[in-house]
Amino acid sequence: MIPIYLCDDEESVRHQLKTALEWKIFMENYDMKVVCAASAAQELLETAQDTRRGVYFLDVDLKDGAWDGFTLGRELRRRDPHGTLVYITSYGDLAWKTFQYHLEAFDYIVKEGEQTGPAITRCLEAVHARLLDERHDPAEMFSLRTGDETRHIPLAGILFFEAAPKAHHVYLHTADSRLDFVGSLNELEKELDGRFVRVHRSFLAAWDKIEAVDGKGNQVRVGGRMCLLSRTGKAELKKKLRGSF
Amino acid sequence: MLTLEDYLTAFVGSLTAHAALAVYLFVMMDVRGWRILKKLPALLLSPLAASLLQVGLYVLIPGHVLVRYYISSFAVLLMCTFWARWAWRTEFWRAFSAVCMGGVFQVSTSCLSQILLLNSELRFTVVVYLVVVPISALLLHRLRFGRWFRFLLEEGFGQCRTALFLFALEAAMETFLILQAGIQPEYLGPYFMLVLAMAALEAGLVIHLAQRLDAARKAAAQQDVIAQQQLYERDLEAIRQEVRAFRHDYKNLLAGLSEQADEGELDQLRAALSELDAGFDRRIGEKIQASTQIGNVRVPQVRSLLLSKLAAMGKQGINCRLEVLYPVERIGMDPWDFTRCLGILLDNAAEAALETDTPWVEIILLPQKGRLSLRISNPYAGTINPDKIWTESFSTKGEGRGLGLPSYQRMLADYPHAAASTSWADGVFVQELTVEEKA
Repeated sequence: MIPIYLCDDEESVRHQLKTALEWKIFMENYDMKVVCAASAAQELLETAQDTRRGVYFLDVDLKDGAWDGFTLGRELRRRDPHGTLVYITSYGDLAWKTFQYHLEAFDYIVKEGEQTGPAITRCLEAVHARLLDERHDPAEMFSLRTGDETRHIPLAGILFFEAAPKAHHVYLHTADSRLDFVGSLNELEKELDGRFVRVHRSFLAAWDKIEAVDGKGNQVRVGGRMCLLSRTGKAELKKKLRGSF
Repeated sequence: MLTLEDYLTAFVGSLTAHAALAVYLFVMMDVRGWRILKKLPALLLSPLAASLLQVGLYVLIPGHVLVRYYISSFAVLLMCTFWARWAWRTEFWRAFSAVCMGGVFQVSTSCLSQILLLNSELRFTVVVYLVVVPISALLLHRLRFGRWFRFLLEEGFGQCRTALFLFALEAAMETFLILQAGIQPEYLGPYFMLVLAMAALEAGLVIHLAQRLDAARKAAAQQDVIAQQQLYERDLEAIRQEVRAFRHDYKNLLAGLSEQADEGELDQLRAALSELDAGFDRRIGEKIQASTQIGNVRVPQVRSLLLSKLAAMGKQGINCRLEVLYPVERIGMDPWDFTRCLGILLDNAAEAALETDTPWVEIILLPQKGRLSLRISNPYAGTINPDKIWTESFSTKGEGRGLGLPSYQRMLADYPHAAASTSWADGVFVQELTVEEKA
């Protein structure tokens, strides 16, 4: 069962949300339940202590000591990295993109009197569909930590890691991005044991993405991109190749 | 007659000079680029070629000592320039300037070592070099000479002119060095001192010029800040006026509403209420949104840049969105450097967005717990070659575009706590920059 949490300091909004959600769950026979409708952040955090993969409907304009919509979302994201965050706001002008990129918030709903109910229902439908999708295909993720924000990148999408020119920085390359983070290739090599090969002092390439060694033998093509290949890297590749047969 | 021993002496001399030059280049170009060390062996070709050239010239034109000296010096300069260009993957004029400046330092080093050797029996110049070069390099490093030098050579500031100016300085130094042959032995000490003083003055001049340039740029930006601040205040004033007008309107509206309520016309009442809500959003809400976002940027340089870029992009028909959820009070790097980074990213974003049918640019600034994240996204047309984005002067459309990225990267190289990521999924180009405040 997927637990649903609400947090809004207005009694009437809480009631409206709870009713709309419960009605939809009942109608569609979803495997979900509204387990908590909190009026304050602390109350929600206490109830949702060990929840994993929960769905949270949060008020953006929450004012509760140090907590506001964003910080509450960040705390929930930290505790429940794969949870779903949906925001409720009274203004259409909220800094939605900030919530989307920094908290991976799923959707937001603008409080518009009687329109709110149907909006909630549509949103729950979308959440349900996505959760079903994820159950079919739980992709393995690589966690990239910067400060207290964690980003999840599908392990299967990573082409290679490259030592950045700046000390202690590493570039993570995928087909459509280059991400800069603080780390070391040595540690990554250990952590990702076996699935990545150290083809060069500055390159750690995904084993299943290696396509070819180029003519002169000092470069290797990984997912359509070129990595340097050293002599020890070549030996490493050969060893790995023998091992895989 | 030229003997093998002469040749070897010339070669060793050239080799030590090159080594000193390489050290100075290292200080000036980028101290953190340890990978350059791998490319160092290729520099060995230069003294080899230089000493061969000297032999060749000696055979061809035995008489003209000065001409030979100039030709071979210039050849060495060029060879080193090409090496520097290759090693640091930079443009010709940058490399040329750096080599000329390095040449000046190298000449002064040799003068200094001559002074130290003047009254001693010691004949090993190499030993003196080993002491003098690291000390002077360290001194230059402490003076942040490299930073100023790189600053002077930022693109768009007459690189070629600066390079030629530095070349003239280097040529003057070389001439001075040549002149030592005509100096009487008892005046050699003061003479070398003079050359040394010249080199110091030249280094000072370079730093001074860079600082002047920096100051001029800051003054210009300051003017901008004031102008933008005034614009911002005018915006606030407009909002105030709107609110006043609205207050007047809404009193009337309320009067109408209470009348409708008295008569029990619920549908009309509802319609009027939603009209009131929408009207407020349309008239003032948008302006308030924009000004709260920009008002959260409390660093004046950054705010001014954002205001001017947003205004410029608005004029070009780019749909801009700025989100600053919390106040940005400080940045973990020099605010001017951050402003320049922001400027480069915004220029690139606007340029790429304009090539699409519906241009938009989205800017998100989020400070949290001692860290500032910046995210700039825009649509783009065409394809992106990931192997080339970060190298000099790459752009999806021809030469001379997208020039800023390498200089953006160079600027960030001075900040170990800054991380810059890039992605280009689904036709949207995204640049992210996170700056941690130093722990």
